[in-house]
Amino acid sequence: MSGLLWRAVTAPGTDPERLRQVVADASDDAGGGTPDDAAAAWQEQGVLVALRGDAGYPRGLVERDAAGGPEFLAVRGSWPAGPAVAIVGARRASGYGVAVAAWLAEAAAKAGVTVISGGAVGIDAAAHQAALGHTIAVLGCGHGVGYPRPHARPGGLFDQLVATGGAVVSSYGPSTPPRPHVVRARNRLVAGLADALVVVEGGARSGSLVTAGHAADLGVPVLAVPGDVRQPGSTAPHLLLAEGAAPCREPADLLAAVGTSPVAVAAQVATTLPPSVHEQLAGAWPRPVRLDELARRSGVNTGQLLAAITAARVNGEVVEGHDGIRLRAAPA
Amino acid sequence: MVAFVRTAAVVGLEPWPVTLECWVGQGLPGTRLVGLPDAAVKESADRAKAAIKSTGLEWPGQRIIGNLAPAEVPKAGAGFDLAFALGVLGATGVLKPEHLRGVWALGELGLDGSVRPTPGTLPIAALARSRSARCLLVADAAAVEASLINQLDVVPVADLRETVAVLTGAAPGRTAGRGEPAARNVVPDLADVRGQPLARRAIEIAAAGDHHVLLAGPPGCGKSMLARRLPGLLPDLGVEQAMEVAAIHSVAGVRDPSAPLDLVPPYRAPHHTVSIAGLVGGGSGIARPGEISLAHEGILFLDELLEMPRRNLDVLREPLETGEVRITRARASVRFPARFRLVAATNPCPCGHLGDSRTPCRCRPDRIERYRERLSGPLLDRIDLQVTMHPVVAADLLGESCEESTATVRERVAAGRARRAARRAVGGRVATSTALERLARAIDALALSSRSFDACLRVARTIADLEGAALVGPDHVDEAIAHRMPVNLVGAA
Repeated sequence: MSGLLWRAVTAPGTDPERLRQVVADASDDAGGGTPDDAAAAWQEQGVLVALRGDAGYPRGLVERDAAGGPEFLAVRGSWPAGPAVAIVGARRASGYGVAVAAWLAEAAAKAGVTVISGGAVGIDAAAHQAALGHTIAVLGCGHGVGYPRPHARPGGLFDQLVATGGAVVSSYGPSTPPRPHVVRARNRLVAGLADALVVVEGGARSGSLVTAGHAADLGVPVLAVPGDVRQPGSTAPHLLLAEGAAPCREPADLLAAVGTSPVAVAAQVATTLPPSVHEQLAGAWPRPVRLDELARRSGVNTGQLLAAITAARVNGEVVEGHDGIRLRAAPA
Repeated sequence: MVAFVRTAAVVGLEPWPVTLECWVGQGLPGTRLVGLPDAAVKESADRAKAAIKSTGLEWPGQRIIGNLAPAEVPKAGAGFDLAFALGVLGATGVLKPEHLRGVWALGELGLDGSVRPTPGTLPIAALARSRSARCLLVADAAAVEASLINQLDVVPVADLRETVAVLTGAAPGRTAGRGEPAARNVVPDLADVRGQPLARRAIEIAAAGDHHVLLAGPPGCGKSMLARRLPGLLPDLGVEQAMEVAAIHSVAGVRDPSAPLDLVPPYRAPHHTVSIAGLVGGGSGIARPGEISLAHEGILFLDELLEMPRRNLDVLREPLETGEVRITRARASVRFPARFRLVAATNPCPCGHLGDSRTPCRCRPDRIERYRERLSGPLLDRIDLQVTMHPVVAADLLGESCEESTATVRERVAAGRARRAARRAVGGRVATSTALERLARAIDALALSSRSFDACLRVARTIADLEGAALVGPDHVDEAIAHRMPVNLVGAA
């Protein structure tokens, strides 16, 4: 019985018995439970586990990391091939940060580059969402823990990610909670899986600084997105720029770091917004504009403005965050 | 000998006719009041005694029994003092039966014999008129309120001496005055609110369609300011409504009895630490109206909505739905009307500064999510308009206001309400099929709850009324959705 279970969760190229041994030996911070419990939880999640060095384990990771990477990787979904970029940043993201992260991620995905991030809310989520179909989320916990809640819930971001052909990955047992050392290990893994890393936004104590540090150690090029000097979210990227990270001003900068370039953007559909409103939003992009500012500057009557914004939200042209409205895609 | 004096008790909002019977006869000297009196009523004996003696009249040295009939209706408050004193005087022969016939008396007595007003004057006056009272004796201060009832002879009496003189015919009865409109509740003007075009629009829609509103924003962005100005946009109360409101306020003891009838819809703003009884009514003894009933036909402003305990929010749901609150006690249930318009205010996150461009938010993202979740649920579903406000930029606050005044917006609201009433009288189709399809599609695309369908349609209907459109169209629907969109907080676009 146990043998069948382990075969069901072992990735091709890995020996189920060896896997079971490794899991049993792993220092168990998974909150109790036998290795068989772990296997059962993995099976329920539809996860396949590969051991370091085996066929199902990324070669690049083994080669790049002196330690060779974590002992095993539990993968839900399919692993996209080809070059990969990591797009990371704070959970508490501004509209500007989310817009830039989405811009970079969408361009990368269109160019056939996989987008890696940490599956957290904020910048990570924006990147994953914009690159659905070509993205990998690296969890800072086990597969069975359900964190962060909005992403792990049924039909949430992680389910969408897997359904569109991407992967959700963890290097810990399924019931491991998101403890600090697990999150740190996740950051190192993100850096190790990528061919280039960009930090979009973060505060002075942001985890993305740690991830950038790992990337530098592993020889992965680091880029940072400049921002408004007054905003706390620009602290981490500006720190990195001062330490020699390359500026990332547009997708071309990021893609150049992995030896490719953005594909031509399709002609944009005509806007449904009143011209003065579109002008305001396009002029401010990627910064969002608050609705009351928009009402005042565009000269459009409040009721009509609200109706136009709703229509544009429904057809996906604009997006609203807590700090205002912005165009979803970069204006032409 | 037994004397009879008419008076009344108020249970909930209902006045009950009470006959005070007073018997004086052989027995150990002492006074006893019966008929379910509460503590204040029992003290009537002492006050009446001092008042009668201060007037220079004799207090009988025999056994006195006062009965407040019917015996099984609970009696509360000091309003029976005057009736009891008159009863004693009637029983001792100072007042003859013909002096007391048809006379209703209501008032508290001071130890010097002065007559004081008591809560509930208005509904009692209405009862007296309906029972064909010959006259109603009340304190000077309460005379204006009692005179709101037509075809009732209201006789203001300053003290017990004057009361006796009027009843025996020694002095003519005075008439009540008109009352000074001084210190009326003046509603501040909407022009004071700078900027905030969205919130102003939402308030206008709320006034035109009697919708409930939630204002979310950092401290100091103007939520209470706007709420305070909403009553100014509403039309004056009709006389019947104003009387009902006055009766509720009179019973609660918050109405100035010397004030004329107030036609401005009431505005109540209890602190978030208000108890459940204070909020919906109740309290020990006879149930008294709560804030939601004091806000009947008007506005109830609840600031810091999420600081209120969950239980308090839960008890609001039924009155929001039914427009009344029923308080059931072992002895009786009491119904208070509570058709109020709710304006609720909240911070967008625990620290209050999410979306504030001047101060960054310090909250952890999962805390923000949990905080917002407390807003969801059955209460929120009944709030049709949900507006996010931001602090106004300093430049907007300086200089002359070029914002619309209350008067301008009130006109539009009145026109919208008139169309709404006319349309409802006729009935028929409400929205074009394009509009309904548009609404369904938007709800799907924007992942709104299915309950939003009805709410958005209601708001769209009001928007169409304001515009003068016969049917709800797609644009009205789009705007309505914008007034109900929860803002995306953290994370993915």
